[in-house]
Amino acid sequence: MASVTLSGIEKSFGDTRVIKGVDISIGDGEFAVFVGPSGCGKSTLLRMIAGLDKPDSGEIRIGQRVVNDLPPKEREVSMVFQTYALYPHMTVKDNMGFGLMIAGQAVDMIQSKVSAAAKILGLDKMLDRLPRQLSGGQRQRVAMGRAMVRDPQVFLFDEPLSNLDAKLRVQMRTEIRALHQRLSTTSIYVTHDQIEAMTMADRIVVLRDGLVEQVGTPVTLYDEPCNTFVATFIGSPAMNLVPASTRGVNATADVGGGVTLAARHASLGERRVVLGLRPEHLRVQGAGSPGIPCSVKVVEFSGADTLLACEAGGMPIQALVHDRLLVKPGDAISLSIAPELVHVFDEGTLRRL
Amino acid sequence: MSKLIDRIVLGACVFLLVSPAILFFLWMLSLAFKNDVDNLAYPPVFIPSPPTFNNFRKVFDSGPFFQYLWNSIVVSGLATVIALAIGVPAGYGIARMKARKLLMTILIARMTPAISFLIPLFTLFQALGLTGTLAPVVITHLVITVPIMVYIVAGYFETLPVELEEAAIVDGCSPWQRFRHIALPLARPGITVAAILAFIFSWNNFIFGAVLSGRETRTLPVAIYNVLTFEQIAWGPLAAAALLVTLPVLLLTLIIQKEIVGGLTAGGVKGG
Repeated sequence: MASVTLSGIEKSFGDTRVIKGVDISIGDGEFAVFVGPSGCGKSTLLRMIAGLDKPDSGEIRIGQRVVNDLPPKEREVSMVFQTYALYPHMTVKDNMGFGLMIAGQAVDMIQSKVSAAAKILGLDKMLDRLPRQLSGGQRQRVAMGRAMVRDPQVFLFDEPLSNLDAKLRVQMRTEIRALHQRLSTTSIYVTHDQIEAMTMADRIVVLRDGLVEQVGTPVTLYDEPCNTFVATFIGSPAMNLVPASTRGVNATADVGGGVTLAARHASLGERRVVLGLRPEHLRVQGAGSPGIPCSVKVVEFSGADTLLACEAGGMPIQALVHDRLLVKPGDAISLSIAPELVHVFDEGTLRRL
Repeated sequence: MSKLIDRIVLGACVFLLVSPAILFFLWMLSLAFKNDVDNLAYPPVFIPSPPTFNNFRKVFDSGPFFQYLWNSIVVSGLATVIALAIGVPAGYGIARMKARKLLMTILIARMTPAISFLIPLFTLFQALGLTGTLAPVVITHLVITVPIMVYIVAGYFETLPVELEEAAIVDGCSPWQRFRHIALPLARPGITVAAILAFIFSWNNFIFGAVLSGRETRTLPVAIYNVLTFEQIAWGPLAAAALLVTLPVLLLTLIIQKEIVGGLTAGGVKGG
């Protein structure tokens, strides 16, 4: 178990700058998730930590050791790949024991470690099967078992659940989280799915275009996103961004209607802002009530919640309500929100105010 | 209606293209089992009745046929085995380093006309005192077997997902261990096909043996050629001998024809 520190990491592939200067610090035993849209560089960072790629500049530390020039073998890391990368010609048992066999460990030692891991992952009845005889979820567990038996300092996960169907993904998320609680090994998990990030992480690193946008706990990123990118990336459905003008704590949306801001924003004075309104915080009231007037376009009922896709002055706004509302497409409503739940971003920099 | 015409035209074209090979082979088959009299009969006799094994007996009586057969086996066998030892690791290296230019260079060596280097090679082997042994023939047959081996094997290794080897790297493998434990077992189908193709091309080769082998060390294709020029044209025994030479590789080809196409177009291995 060890901490992982990235300092000043830069990486280019040919002429393309993929990582543009990244500093990240992950504590011992932490479950850190790197999240961001495709192409943001999260997989590249993971590969550099694993030792499969080398940074152009910067330092990578695992524990106290600088590992830039160490091959993967000596970094004591294990990796779970997106496509599982199980050796197709070896049984589950041999797949899991392969790393130990290469390291020259005794056969009975390998046997006991593999059995122990298989038991934890529910694979003990499948040790003699080949990967092609397993389902997607089982293969993923074998991949995790292979990573586990080597008892590494750091677990690396590269979008391991992307190839699974939705239901299995939810199940495996819980299993991976439970495994982490059991083993307490420092883990770095890469995904483009913000729900995976929110549900699994101790800390989330949000990346965009080769730069770190924000690092924080799921709660921090949800309650205090530092800019509109993080604000709209975290949370589903995405936060509504409404351009507005402020005068003290009174904000007037460009599309019409007023929003009252929290008291701490009184010092903003008169300026142009972007208001961030989470769909789940919006309250639906009758037309004419204070708030943002809009008309309902689509009503999506999903059992526990109802998603209203509305339009205010040509701009789409989404509201997520938990009550059964008698609202139909075409109705005129007003959306209001509690002042302390309003996020305010500067119009120019898009940073949190 | 036009679809039927298309089919007929296609069939006719295929027949035209394929018929020389098939018809000559069938005629050779027919010649091998006919008596001398039937051979020269006009109108031509296609299916002899009764078929005779006389010609085959004459072939075995005429010269040290089994010596030549053994020579062919040793030459092609050794050339294939050495090509495996050199070519498979080379193919792996070329595939992983993406050295396509090197691959082309190797193929160009194969495509150079043999005549251009056979005479210098002959004098070289003479100076080394190797004429009269099978060594010159085996060594030059490497020019046939190694390029095929490298080309097919490199193509096959290129289809193996890189992630499998990355997983092996993270598991702690050195490049040699990666090759031995992961790449090699997975490439077995491609290697098998390459080896068989290399063997077949080496077996059928005439020119290297013709220039570099002596009376004792000639391979089968050369032996047959000598049957033709040495005595009068004995069509029956000649056809019988040709059939005997062709039969092993013909059977090999028929057995693995599916794998040959697969090996040439690169096999697909799903990465777990």
